[in-house]
Amino acid sequence: MNQRLILAMILGLLPGMLWAHASEQGFVLLLPTDVYIGAGVASVALTVVLLAVLPAWVAARLFAPLAVVAVRGLPLRHATSLMATLFLAFLVWRGVSGSNDPSVNPLPLFVWTVFWIGLVSLQGVLGNHWRWTNPWTGLVALLGWVTGSRAPIRYPRVLGHAPGVVIFLCFAGFLLADPAPADPDRLALAVGGYWYLTLMGVTLFGPRWMLRAEALTILMRAYGRMGLLGRARGRLAVGLWGWQVLARPRPGFGLAVFILLMLGSGSFDGLNETFWWFGFLGINPLEFPGRSVVITQNLLGLIVANAALITAFAACLWLGERIAGTRRPLGEVFCLYAPTILPIALGYHVAHYLTSFMVDGQYVIKFLTDPMGQGADLLNLGTFYVTTGFFNTPGTVKVIFLTQAGAVVVGHVIAILLAHALAVRGHGNNWRAVLGQAPLALFMIAYTFFGLWLLASPRGV
Amino acid sequence: MTTKSPRTPRSVTSTSRRGALKTLAGGVAGAATLPMWARYAQAQSSEPIKIGFQVHRTGIGAAYGRWYDRTTQAAVKLINEGGGINGRPVEIVAEDDGTDPKRGAEVVEKFATQHNCDIGFGTLFSHVVIGSAPRAGELKLPYFVVSEGTHVSSGMLNRYTMQPGITDVRSQVISMAPFITENLGKKVTMIFPDYGFGYDHRDNLAPAIEAQGGEVVAKIAIPPSETSFTRYFPKIPRETEVVYHVMVGPGVLTFVKELGEFFGGQGPELFGFIDSLEAVAIDSPGLEFLEGSHFWEGMCRHSQPDESEHEAFYREAVGVDSRGASVSDPTDVSTYGHMFGCWETLHVVKAGMEAAGYRGPQDRAALIEAVEAMTDMPLSQAHPQGAKRFNGKTHQVFGHQYISKVEGGMLKKVHTTSIEDTLYPDEVDYTTQSF
Repeated sequence: MNQRLILAMILGLLPGMLWAHASEQGFVLLLPTDVYIGAGVASVALTVVLLAVLPAWVAARLFAPLAVVAVRGLPLRHATSLMATLFLAFLVWRGVSGSNDPSVNPLPLFVWTVFWIGLVSLQGVLGNHWRWTNPWTGLVALLGWVTGSRAPIRYPRVLGHAPGVVIFLCFAGFLLADPAPADPDRLALAVGGYWYLTLMGVTLFGPRWMLRAEALTILMRAYGRMGLLGRARGRLAVGLWGWQVLARPRPGFGLAVFILLMLGSGSFDGLNETFWWFGFLGINPLEFPGRSVVITQNLLGLIVANAALITAFAACLWLGERIAGTRRPLGEVFCLYAPTILPIALGYHVAHYLTSFMVDGQYVIKFLTDPMGQGADLLNLGTFYVTTGFFNTPGTVKVIFLTQAGAVVVGHVIAILLAHALAVRGHGNNWRAVLGQAPLALFMIAYTFFGLWLLASPRGV
Repeated sequence: MTTKSPRTPRSVTSTSRRGALKTLAGGVAGAATLPMWARYAQAQSSEPIKIGFQVHRTGIGAAYGRWYDRTTQAAVKLINEGGGINGRPVEIVAEDDGTDPKRGAEVVEKFATQHNCDIGFGTLFSHVVIGSAPRAGELKLPYFVVSEGTHVSSGMLNRYTMQPGITDVRSQVISMAPFITENLGKKVTMIFPDYGFGYDHRDNLAPAIEAQGGEVVAKIAIPPSETSFTRYFPKIPRETEVVYHVMVGPGVLTFVKELGEFFGGQGPELFGFIDSLEAVAIDSPGLEFLEGSHFWEGMCRHSQPDESEHEAFYREAVGVDSRGASVSDPTDVSTYGHMFGCWETLHVVKAGMEAAGYRGPQDRAALIEAVEAMTDMPLSQAHPQGAKRFNGKTHQVFGHQYISKVEGGMLKKVHTTSIEDTLYPDEVDYTTQSF
């Protein structure tokens, strides 16, 4: 009973979170996914049409913060950050000393399930918690306070977000192409090493390193712009996902590229599991020889997918400027519209990882009830068996698929709304905004199809 | 300082017999309340026997890996509760191989060199076994696989690799032929995926059917990436009396549904391998067309009226109900037809180590020889799937196979093969290889 309850709690509390297991795919293939895909694409297209006929202010009004509450800044962020640092140290220690089974060792469970799926999704859906959960800022503040010294080197302004872009691509490469990213020993080295290098970076270059070079912080701050909760004029405000994008200045070029890489890498993470990709590589998906034989292919695929996305996105913007006759510089519109990609990336992140989260989340619960693997039962669960039964009945598979599809569609609808609001702001005229936005809107409609097709495709891993 | 040395012997002599007994009794009572591990700490030579468990945690084998792990944990718990092996507790050292042959070899190496495991165990997917076994041989690590592959008995591996807990595909396939030809029909059309797994069935079934006076009238190979199958069904010859299908992968449910729709319940008899629907409820919507069809089962997923007390015990220990699903979630259907192999293999390891008087890695060769010397394994708690016969020369075990008929959403056992039905001539004698 307890298991069920906790599972229900996970599913209830975190309605949008989700990783891929092969077994449910059989039932997904029995679903009328072509109908669902059609409906999803139509919803996004309908949004475009509605925006064309509705008054220009509609989109902007939708993103107006709904409630504003006076809340003073929570002062505990350094304390919670220090706790996050201590917990990370514990995880790395367990990574080295604990079980080698990635479903038992807390390091891979917390890095890939709790952080990469859970906390990243939470950041995008709710708002910026990274301010309190970042495992560096508290220690950096403490070190600064104790030593009284400041960073000896000025962060070279010319670098911009370039180090962050490079580090993010390395992270995506590790996630997608490393043969064993969940191996506790390997992960302990990667996580511990990266944590230490970042600490060195911040010590040498100051906090700017965190904002320009630390890829996870850049990613979290970008997704923080998507959250329902945010700050407006010094107050806590609530608004539709994306309202903070409109409330903030447009990002610089490096950050704009970074945002596109978030979507490109995420999409490739789905693409590289499909039968289509295995067919392209000439590999039998039913006898997949393992990640160690596709390292180069995955790395190349990651680069090509990102390059293709950036090119297509820039081409749509270029065309839109020509059609609308505004002819702003491409770099300027690229930076302006890049944040509209965030809801698409977030929706896909949630959808893609939902199934993994449902399974691996149970292993997290197993860890929590017995943190040191000594047979304890702190949560009083009794005999706890991890289940994947929800992948084995048509009803639950349908609910899961529609939840995933819903996340993708909602992400695209938000993206269309955001793009329209930005276009209206830039063109001042609804009709010109619609014309100028048309290529980007078509791109987003096509991407809805792509995202849903990825979810419905037979997968080999 | 000077008074200490004479006091020591006095304190020893002053310990009364009653006091000693009291201490001893307290120790025993105390030990009984201690957790299992601590109890072993009281024993001599309490170092655990370390079993490196090569588990498919990620990759295409993950669904099987979860149940292999669950069965393994249950077997180890039972063995430890019974005093372990040679009085030593068993410790499972699990490593994920990602269902990846290259990583499999690395994992085997970690077992031998980093974790100081006594043996490696538990590999399922054939390509991982084939990728890992050479390394186990080089490192002289006894490697107990639970894979069903015929690669062990075919002679392509080495003396350190053994499969004593699960039968191989070849013996499973050939033992089906007598039942098929006698009860379902003599003209058989095979539908199989167009790669190694399918070829194992194709190459072994046809001669066995012919030996029974039957005929394989068509062999339809389906590309592995296919997800719609309707266009292949017209290739089934009209004279076909039995369709023998062994599809696997995400498209298998679609295959069954489309096959059923194609024949509309009027077609030939259907005979399949449960591998297609392992971990899938047989009464799932869309699988209604399977009613009346037959399946090979390695072990009967649904409790049969004549289920042995040993199998009932096994179900309870693993936490599986009478329909082969998890006791905590009836929709979580196990890989029941295969996972018993982990349980039985671990019991063979225990028997082998005890027969060899196994103390540590220096006795690895003795362990191999002890297992090679095994022959008949009766139906028992250690062998709940049924009696087995081990062939020490080919390192492969042979056993009963089951054929079930789908009736009202139940898999009802209709035939049990003899062990003799599953035998085939030896192709290798590993005992002639040096250690």
